[in-house]
Amino acid sequence: MLSISYDSSFDGFLSVVFEIYRQHLDVGEIRPDRSESPCNMFMQPFRIETSDESAQRLKRAIINQAGLEILNTLDVAFRSEEDGIEMKILAYLRKLFSEEDSRYAKNPTSDEMLPIYMTARSVRHEEGGMLGMVRFSRMPDGTYFAEIEPKYDILELMIGHFRGRFANERWAIYDSKRGFGFYHDGKGREPIPICIPNMREVAAATKADEFVRLWQDYYQSIAIKERENPKLLRRCLPVRYWKHLPERQAPSKWA
Amino acid sequence: MDVREKLNILSAAAKYDVSCSSSGSKRQVPGGGLGNACSAGICHTWSSDGRCISLLKVLMSNACKYDCAYCINRRSNDIPRATFTPKELIDLTLEFYRRNYIEGLFLSSAVVGTPDRTMEMLIQVAKELRIVHKFGGYIHLKAIPGASSELLYQAGLYADRSSVNIEIPTDKALQYLAPEKNHASIYKPMNFLAERKLEYKTEHSRYSPRFLPAGQSTQMIVGAAGETDLQILTLSNGFYKQQQMKRVYFSGYVPINADKRLPALTTKPPLVREHRLYQADWLMRFYKFGYDEIVDKVNPNLDLELDPKASWALRHPEFFPIDIQTADYEMLLRVPGIGVKSAQLIASGRRFSKIRLEHLKKMGVVLKRAQYFIYHPDTPACLRRLYPEMVRPLLLPKPQSLQLDLFSNQPLALPAVG
Ligand code: SF4
Repeated sequence: MLSISYDSSFDGFLSVVFEIYRQHLDVGEIRPDRSESPCNMFMQPFRIETSDESAQRLKRAIINQAGLEILNTLDVAFRSEEDGIEMKILAYLRKLFSEEDSRYAKNPTSDEMLPIYMTARSVRHEEGGMLGMVRFSRMPDGTYFAEIEPKYDILELMIGHFRGRFANERWAIYDSKRGFGFYHDGKGREPIPICIPNMREVAAATKADEFVRLWQDYYQSIAIKERENPKLLRRCLPVRYWKHLPERQAPSKWA
Repeated sequence: MDVREKLNILSAAAKYDVSCSSSGSKRQVPGGGLGNACSAGICHTWSSDGRCISLLKVLMSNACKYDCAYCINRRSNDIPRATFTPKELIDLTLEFYRRNYIEGLFLSSAVVGTPDRTMEMLIQVAKELRIVHKFGGYIHLKAIPGASSELLYQAGLYADRSSVNIEIPTDKALQYLAPEKNHASIYKPMNFLAERKLEYKTEHSRYSPRFLPAGQSTQMIVGAAGETDLQILTLSNGFYKQQQMKRVYFSGYVPINADKRLPALTTKPPLVREHRLYQADWLMRFYKFGYDEIVDKVNPNLDLELDPKASWALRHPEFFPIDIQTADYEMLLRVPGIGVKSAQLIASGRRFSKIRLEHLKKMGVVLKRAQYFIYHPDTPACLRRLYPEMVRPLLLPKPQSLQLDLFSNQPLALPAVG
């Protein structure tokens, strides 16, 4: 049995699936390179490199068999980076390609699809919430910069929204948990991927933005003391997001 | 006075208006401009009282010439007064927007000078945002009671949504508490805007700017004037039907003024009741419940212990338990513990295979509640009946263990038995 490793990307994973089919591999687990859990000693390590071509071919096969929407669901669920999500998606694809009943692809509640579907739902949920929780600060050079640390790998899903909204502004959003981000120049070009080695300095420079102070003030004065409800607040706005929300940083009078 | 101080005063003065939504409009970023509108609306943060914040909600001014008993800005209160200049407000809106703090602006005002003068100030801000700054974000403008129809019409051309707050659910109580207002004066602008919106739709092509694309909303204060939930829900049902309101908000009364016409200052805001009203409103808007199914003459007030959906189900044992496999989608929605998303999953999944208990759990159905109201292939026939008096206690939240505060000088309040 093989413990297959790959570069953690979705295309990399699809290349793995492609090779599993092509070489009839006996797979025990699929490990993304980012995984920190110890290797399974009873399985033989096996490496599969990402191939754009294999990934494209598999994508086409999935679209033919199940449709673009399903491919998107798989992609979104994959972004959960959940342990074992690869094997769940593999199980679904195996069933999809072997099933005679052509309606199988359309059933969101099949044993293989339901867990993927529910995972994709949580990823989309975080994405939707994060659209509001990105906080830009104006940098000395006039770029609006935001740092995020989402639970799931959702930055790419969010970029379209910000492109639409801030089409004519210069901005960058950086996922410091995963060490990559996007920069948009406000001139109609595609946002380009960036990496920032000196995040500390950048984060310090964001502090100089005077509007942060006004926003914190506003946040304080809009709260109604008599209605304060820390439990409800934590349910709506989980504590893990507070780190990058200036309004939750200010010494709060009543929370 | 600097902007910071004004912001503090004028946002604190606006906080009792609870409507916060930024939904209902869809707009691309104007050419060369800033911002768009997203029809689902986006929450940007939550205040420490757990309310969604999506707009910069401020008053243009809090120097009111009226004297409504329930309002913090009434002229008889001795509080610091401030007024924004249009430029200050526009800068704040744009800068907050660029930092993704907000979806846009919610602008209201106390009545300064005349209602028309006040309304003009609000329109000026919205107009400049839209035309000079090509701002495509969300704008909510308050319709100032008493403003002329010509001004209301203009507001509708720049704003996504407008609102006039009814505040007090009965006319008599309103006139008693707010001597300068009555229901007719509030319905007038509402009806005017609703009619213009309808008219505009038929007369203009789909390329011209739209009139109040996100419609109207209103707010009612709950617990200030002894009204019943039946009165409140009847009224809000009317707003949804007749004035095509998009939202009706409820604001549990927070005593701010010592006034013999109002509940004492020590009264706690009726938060549970307010929550139940929102649940009822939710059932009317997304679960196809009629308001008269939720409350009626016999039960004019919502059950504070139990959510309105469960209360309804327990009052109607004749409909339950339902067969998950065959029940109408509408009936699935009525099962306590089944939400819109899980109802949709059940409806699409059951076309392929029988839905069993373990499926339901994985779909996110709250079985702890739903189990008494459904049956499935695993339920024995003898259990296919609902006994409300047995089920009710099982649905109530577990009583919290009592915390003894031996240092407080308040006598210990034990829950009433009965
Ligand atoms: S008119 Fe408005 S601001 Fe003025 S006292 Fe009445 S409710 Fe308050």
